[in-house]
Amino acid sequence: MSIYLDNSATTRPCDSAVEAMMHAMREDFYNPSALYAAAMGPEKMMKSCREKILRSVHAKGGSRVVFLSGGTEADNLAILGQQKKCRGQKVFYSAGEHPAVKEACQAMEEAEAVAIPYTREGLVDVQALEQMLDERTALICIMQVNNETGTIQPLQEIGQLIRRLCPKAHFHVDGVQGYLRVPFDMQAVGADSYALSGHKIHGPKGIGALVMGPGVQLHPRQVGGGQENTIRSGTENTVGIAGLSAAIDAFPKEHTMQQVKMHLYEGLKEIIPGLSVNGPAPDAAYAAPHILNVSLPPVRSETMLHALEGKKIYVGIGSACSSHKQKVSPVLRAMHVDQAAAESALRFSFCPENTIEEMNAVLEAVKGQYALLSRFQRR
Amino acid sequence: MRQLLMVRYGEIYLKGLNRPYFMKALVKRVREATREYKANVWLHDARIFVSDMTDADACMERVRKVFGVHSVCPAIEMEKDDFDAICVEAEKMMRTVNGTFKVEARRSDKRYFMDSPMINRNIGEYVLERNEDHLSVDVHKPEHILSVEIRDKAYLYCQVYMAVGGMPVGTGGKAALLLSGGIDSPVAGYMIAKRGVQLISVHYHSFPYTSEQAKEKVLDLGRILSQYCCGMKTYVVPFTEIQMEIHEKCPEDYTTLIMRRYMMRIAEKIAEKEGALALITGESIGQVASQTMEALQTTNEVVKMPVFRPLIGFDKADIIDYAKKIGTYETSSLPYEDCCTVFTPKHPATKPKMAKILEGEEKLDQDALIEKAVNEAEIILL
Repeated sequence: MSIYLDNSATTRPCDSAVEAMMHAMREDFYNPSALYAAAMGPEKMMKSCREKILRSVHAKGGSRVVFLSGGTEADNLAILGQQKKCRGQKVFYSAGEHPAVKEACQAMEEAEAVAIPYTREGLVDVQALEQMLDERTALICIMQVNNETGTIQPLQEIGQLIRRLCPKAHFHVDGVQGYLRVPFDMQAVGADSYALSGHKIHGPKGIGALVMGPGVQLHPRQVGGGQENTIRSGTENTVGIAGLSAAIDAFPKEHTMQQVKMHLYEGLKEIIPGLSVNGPAPDAAYAAPHILNVSLPPVRSETMLHALEGKKIYVGIGSACSSHKQKVSPVLRAMHVDQAAAESALRFSFCPENTIEEMNAVLEAVKGQYALLSRFQRR
Repeated sequence: MRQLLMVRYGEIYLKGLNRPYFMKALVKRVREATREYKANVWLHDARIFVSDMTDADACMERVRKVFGVHSVCPAIEMEKDDFDAICVEAEKMMRTVNGTFKVEARRSDKRYFMDSPMINRNIGEYVLERNEDHLSVDVHKPEHILSVEIRDKAYLYCQVYMAVGGMPVGTGGKAALLLSGGIDSPVAGYMIAKRGVQLISVHYHSFPYTSEQAKEKVLDLGRILSQYCCGMKTYVVPFTEIQMEIHEKCPEDYTTLIMRRYMMRIAEKIAEKEGALALITGESIGQVASQTMEALQTTNEVVKMPVFRPLIGFDKADIIDYAKKIGTYETSSLPYEDCCTVFTPKHPATKPKMAKILEGEEKLDQDALIEKAVNEAEIILL
C-alpha cells in the first residue's frame, strides 16, 4: 500500500465524486442549455452546486459563481478580467503567490505590478503593505493558504487595510489551497472574488469556480455561446461540476489532519537533529492543518523524495534541481530561507484520510533513509 | 502498374565474393524495418524492392534509416512491352517538375527492342513536347534525372532520397555502449552501429539520486537508437552502492575516475556475457576532467577489450549537430534531475596518479561490488 502525502499537488477523487461523474456521463449528459425537460437535471445540479459554494464561503447575497476549468483559469479571469479598470493603476500580489496569480498580474497591460514582501514565516508583511497601498491601487491578490508552506494569510487584517486605504480596490483571494480545509468567510474578509479548484478537495481535475461578490464586473476571457452569464462561454463541464459538488458534500467538517501533522512533526524532530520548519510553527493558529514544510539537511529534497518513493511514500518538494542547476522555490526565497535549508525542503501535505499509523510508517522510512543518505554530502 | 520503393545500397557494392552475405543481411534488415507497414520486400537484379506497404511515405522514411541503404527512390513498375504507356507515365511524372532534365535509361535486358540512347531520345522528346513551358533539356548538368530501367519489367523514377549509408547491422559484430542521458553517448553508439555493429547498451542508474524519470529519458534515447540498430538490449545497472562506497573510502579528487573505472569494468563483464567484442563510449579529449588523455589512460587500462571512442576528436558543437541529425538531441537536452553532484568532487584530478587510484581502490571489495551490480541489472529490450 502506498502512502500519499502530496495532497497539495492533487488529491484522489472520492468515491462519491466518481459516482456523481459516472451518473453525469451516463444519465444526465444533456446540455444544460437545451430546452427539453430532461436538461433540467444538469441545470438543477449546477444550481445546487453554486448555492453550496456560496454558502461554504459565506458569500454576501447577490454573489455569483462562475464555473471554469480550474484554479488557474479562475485566478486569470479574476485578474485579467479587470485589465481595463487597472490601466495606469497599481496591482499588488504577495511575493509567494502561485504563478497563476503572479504571472497574470505581471501580464496586465499598462498596470504596475508590485510584489508584497513576506515575513520569515511566510506571512504577508502587513506593515509593509500598509505603506504600499494608496488611492492608485486597483487590485490586491492574496492567497488564503500558501501552497508550499501552509501559512494562512491574515486576510481579515488585510481586508480592513484595503477598506481604509483604498476602498475602491478589488480584493481577490486565491483559495485553491485553502478551500474547505481552512474556514473562509468572504464577508468578514471583505473579499471581492475567491478562486477554488475541484481536484484539491478530492474532486476531479479540470473544474474550478470563481466566486464573485455582488457588483463585481469582469470582462470575459473567452467568448462564444454566452454561457455563465456571458462571463465564460463554452458548454458547462457538467461532469466536472457534478464531481465538484459531490466532493464538497463529502469533505468532512471534522478531521484529524492537524493531529496527524503534529504527530509527523514531533517524530521528525526526534529523528533529525537539524530539522527546520519552513513556514509558521506547526502548532501556530495561522498554520494550515494540511501542509508541513520542513528541511532535512544535508539530504537534498529530490534525493529524499525518490528514496521515499522507493518505499511507496509520495511527498512534494520545495525546490528541484534540474540538470545540475539548482532552482530554489520563489516562496522559500521570499521568506529568506537559507540555501542549504531550501535545497533540502520537503513538503508533506495531508488529506482527511491520512492516519497516525501511516505517519509512523513514514517516520520509520525517513529514519532509515536519513541515516543512510545523510552520510553523503558533497565535500 | 504499381508504385514501389527501389532501395539502393552503397558500400556493399565494394564487396567481392562476400557480397551475397551482406546483401542477405541488408534484405533482412529492410524486411524487419518495414514489417509494421506490412510491406513485401524482395531482392532482384541487385536491387531491393519494397511494395504493397500500408503507408508509403512513412515506410520510405523508415527504410532511409536502415544502415547499409544508400538511397531510396519511389518508382513506378510497369510492363516493358508497351513503350507508349511508358512514355505516358514518364510524362505524368515530369509534369510537376520545373527546370532542366534529362532521361537516363539503363537496359539490363539487352534484347529489348530499343537501346538506351533511343529510349532516352524517345521519352525525352515525348516529355518535352508536352511540358515545354516549364522544362528544358540539359544532358550535361540537368537539375532532374528521369531514370528508366528496363529489366524484366520497366521502372521509372525521378526522385532519389539519400539514406543513412553504412553497413547492415549484424555484419560487423557486437559491442556494448555505455549510454548516459547526455548528448554524446547516443551519437557514439549510432556511429559504431552504422558500421554494421549490433549494439547492446549499459546504463548506470543511481536511484534515489537520479529518478525513474531520468531513467525513462535514457530509455527513450535508447528507443531512438534502436530504430537504427534493429533493437538494442539495455542493461540498467544499479550504481548507487558503488558510488557510496567510493565516496566514503576513496580520495575525493579521484572519486569520478574510480567511478568511471568501475563503469568500464562492469560494461566489460556485461559485454563478455553477451558475446560483445568491444566497448563504446562517447568520450572526447578534454571535454571534462575524466576525459583528459591522462584520465582516459587510467579508465582504459582496466579493460582488455578494445574501447571505441568515435567522438574522440569531435568538438561539442559538432557532436550536437550530429545528435540533431540523428534525432537524439531533443531528448538528450531535456532537463532531468541529477543529484549525483553529491558524489562529484569539487576539483577532480585531471592529471591522476595511478598510485593514488590503486590506493583508493584497495579499500573496496571490487569483485563483490561488480558481481552484485551485474546480477542486479535490469534488462530491457528496446
